Amino acid sequence: MDIKTIDHLCELSKLNFTDDEKQKVMEEMSAIIELMDTVKEIDLTYDDTKDNNSITYSEVRKDAAKPSYPTDRLLSNTEPQDNCYVVPKMVE
Amino acid sequence: MDITKVSLKELRKALDDKEISAAELAEEYIGRIKTADAEVESYITVTEEQAKIAAEQAQKLIDDNKAQPLTGIPLAIKDNICTDGIRTTCASKMLENFVPPYNATVIEKLNGQGYVLLGKTSMDEFAMGGSTQTAAFSKTKNPYDTGRVPGGSSGGSAAAVSAGLAPAALGSDTGGSIRQPSSFCGVTGLKPTYGRVSRYGLIAFASSLDQIGPIANSAEDCGILLNAVAGRDEHDATSAGVPVEDFNAKIGQSIKGMKIALPREFFGDSTDDEVKQAVTAAAKEYEKLGAELVDCSMSSLKYAVAAYYLISGAEAASNLSRFDGIKYGLRGEGRSFDEMIRDSRSRGFGAEVKRRILLGNYALSSGYYDAYYRKALALKQQIIKEYNDIYAQADVILTPTAPTVAYRIGEQETDPVKMYLADICTVTVNIASLPAISLPCGYNADGMPIGMSLVGKRFDEATLIQTADAYQRNFTVMPNKFRA
Amino acid sequence: MKLYPTIGLEIHAELMTESKVFCTCSAKFGGEPNSRCCPVCSGLPGTLPVLNSKAVEYIIKAGYIMNCEISRFTKWDRKNYFYPDLPKAYQISQMPRPVCLGGYVDIESEGKTKRMRINRIHLEEDAGKLVHENRISLADYNRCGIPLIEIVTEPDFHSAADVTAFFEKIRLMLQYAGVCDGRLEQGSMRCDVNISLAPEGSDTLGTRTEVKNLNSLRAIQRAVEYEIYRQTELIENGERVIQETLHFNDATGETSSLRSKEDAHDYRYFPDPDIPPIIFTEEELAAIKADIPEMPQQRYERYTKEYGISGADAAVLINTKAVSDFFEAAVKAYDNPKPIATFITVELMRRINLGEVDAENIPFAPENFARLVELAETGKISKDNRKMILRDMTASGGTPDEIAEREQLWIKEDSELTEKTVDEILAANPKAVEQYRNGETKVFGFLMGQCNRALKGSASPAAIKRVLEEKLK
Repeated sequence: MDIKTIDHLCELSKLNFTDDEKQKVMEEMSAIIELMDTVKEIDLTYDDTKDNNSITYSEVRKDAAKPSYPTDRLLSNTEPQDNCYVVPKMVE
Repeated sequence: MDITKVSLKELRKALDDKEISAAELAEEYIGRIKTADAEVESYITVTEEQAKIAAEQAQKLIDDNKAQPLTGIPLAIKDNICTDGIRTTCASKMLENFVPPYNATVIEKLNGQGYVLLGKTSMDEFAMGGSTQTAAFSKTKNPYDTGRVPGGSSGGSAAAVSAGLAPAALGSDTGGSIRQPSSFCGVTGLKPTYGRVSRYGLIAFASSLDQIGPIANSAEDCGILLNAVAGRDEHDATSAGVPVEDFNAKIGQSIKGMKIALPREFFGDSTDDEVKQAVTAAAKEYEKLGAELVDCSMSSLKYAVAAYYLISGAEAASNLSRFDGIKYGLRGEGRSFDEMIRDSRSRGFGAEVKRRILLGNYALSSGYYDAYYRKALALKQQIIKEYNDIYAQADVILTPTAPTVAYRIGEQETDPVKMYLADICTVTVNIASLPAISLPCGYNADGMPIGMSLVGKRFDEATLIQTADAYQRNFTVMPNKFRA
Repeated sequence: MKLYPTIGLEIHAELMTESKVFCTCSAKFGGEPNSRCCPVCSGLPGTLPVLNSKAVEYIIKAGYIMNCEISRFTKWDRKNYFYPDLPKAYQISQMPRPVCLGGYVDIESEGKTKRMRINRIHLEEDAGKLVHENRISLADYNRCGIPLIEIVTEPDFHSAADVTAFFEKIRLMLQYAGVCDGRLEQGSMRCDVNISLAPEGSDTLGTRTEVKNLNSLRAIQRAVEYEIYRQTELIENGERVIQETLHFNDATGETSSLRSKEDAHDYRYFPDPDIPPIIFTEEELAAIKADIPEMPQQRYERYTKEYGISGADAAVLINTKAVSDFFEAAVKAYDNPKPIATFITVELMRRINLGEVDAENIPFAPENFARLVELAETGKISKDNRKMILRDMTASGGTPDEIAEREQLWIKEDSELTEKTVDEILAANPKAVEQYRNGETKVFGFLMGQCNRALKGSASPAAIKRVLEEKLK
């Protein structure tokens, strides 16, 4: 676990840390990863067909459209414009 | 009537017999919250106004003899369960002002019975933690000793029930978040089988492990709540089509001949002696009641914490990606989308949530996936297999709920690895999708509650409630100062 | 050194379900911003996706028509990336267990039949739409959760003609299967093209570029041609082709680089814990397969072999599904396929190509069209009057019978009128009569035409001919 890895993880996670914070995070993450490394000891292979959570096709939802939700309620936790969510401009 | 000393059944009777009105009952609880919660800090939001309205509506049902088990019963709800029009924060700055425009399925079901919402209870931020001290606000205290943690993540719900600030509550459990705080606060908490209760409206932490369940004063009260919220939901494809029986149907039936397994590894060095002694003594009680104790082993337990953190971290990293400040939640600043969402997330999330996200992305990232995430899934299959082996020779499994009693605030919740290791007793249950109930089985020298867990076969909550109830009939709860 | 292009495709096609793939909002195109949305497709915290079985049925049908292997066990994964058109910050897609694996489609391109292999087809959700303003972008999630299939081909293509022939064929097949409406102008189908160049005969492929989101046949063709040209220039000038994602600019006809920084995407795919994997039984798959409608190639065979329609006409009919469907319905009303086919390919197609009639919304019923053909075939009206009546049907919406009545276009077979008219024509054209009697029989046609015009279709050509021959004896 080095700063480069932390930077990469921050990019994937969309998180910022100051340099001081980053140092602390790196130490904590190193200790955490050390704990996670215990799984490497065990010799097991994963077979997804052996999971017990699958369902049959007949249990899958039937296709029927229902009325949508009031737009103003969906947008009630943001400040919309023209009934849209507002983001910084995406194209230069 | 001292409302803090009666069961839900007795409350039901008092309401139906008009000994107390729904409004009076709600008022009494609101009053108690106003007095005691400044110290316990179990609630994030108290819904006094809504409670009054709900109580009036409930009273009409009661007066019309249309009462259902929870009509007019006040309840507390963990603040990660969406309530339409009522702030739902996940104890995070990110969602400090988030008001969901819809109800979780469990809330719809409770509304259907005419329950009375007292308020939303505190928790570890986004349910990540075991102390309720990662909450951005309302860092709940343990009612048995307010210098100690209530456990977590459903620490607010457990403390509220423990302090008599709600007769029962809903929590959620991803790796022990119902059972461990129930154990720390000396109450009973039931984590149902994965799929038993709809997750729709539960703000996801780790979707393959999360489950909503009751926290109450007894196994029977848990059963009443579970009866109300369980069942298949068309909004949750992982909810099970297994018919919902009356979870309290087996209460009172003899447990003679029942086989109770004690997996050795749960009673190892990492568990405090006082905890081991209390749980072992409880096992002897079961023996006296006619149960047969079975020695057994779960050899992959030592890998369980890592497997749990890898799976839950991976899912959490993905689940929490939607919090970008655009649609809801804390909106950061920045000239570009990238800058803005980084600012939103960096300011909105607390340290523990950030660690989990980083861990999850590490486990999933290119080059590490097979070594960590995939291996964790293999371990999940192995743990399920080991449980199946135990259930081939036993009906229920008995373990401590946590290796220790509630610890002092500041003692260990600042060390992530120490915190993670403390989940050893509870995480395998979630990994294997099993139901489990934690109930008090004693108190240590400081008077802190000790909890034990009964783990059942999938969809066999009724046997857990029966077994827990059989013990509770002869167990005397030592009340804390808030209920004395 | 001759450079040889190698091309692979990723085609996205929206499925024609009623509801979205993971919620019950309408999957219709368009609508006011965020009006076809709910807590699920808007990505509100706590909401969960619930898979639509119709979308699964449709992708299985797509798999069968492209000769794919259908997985008996399939599951869904999350593709994680941040973009404001993706409210959950992950797209539900399929990685290791797609519904369809393998497969192929045969196409006609550059005078040859070529077999293009399919690598896989998987089911996923569409993203929302962004509208860019001065300093902000606005996100509309109506399209979020529209079911999409992604068809991934092997790199079996070597020219723009290969690509467009394949795309058109796929589009037609998906339309016939009732799986995708194929409306390119609404973005129902989009194509990503991966192109690389290598010296002919080389074992290794060159560096590839990906041109994303091409949504018309013309754009696909131009983008492929431009990219082959651009890469050829680079290589011949000794420069390197950079592996990157490109955008095709319709106005300039050129490609340009898209977000090079984010090319190093790590999508962190993992199984979506909210969606249980599905197991299919053989019976379920067989039922879905049996439910696949007739494909264009089968219709072509039927038209040419059973109906005796020419290959050229049959091709015209099947190449627009709406027209072929119209033909089918017309034949149901009047069991005489050949003249119906001819009238469609000659007259209806002309109007469609002129833009007077919209093939997707033909303004008259196929039964009325069939009746019109029947009236002409049975001598109730003249063949010349068919066009006039068809135009009237388009404008007035009337039935052929009503119009023939209103305009008095019925062939009356009034022998008195016919004889009188023939007499008048013969009297007015003494020179022609003389020529005929002198053996110049070709003037018969001229006289026929004169009579025909004078009778305005009220007598059948056969009747006129009979009277005329009689009088000229």
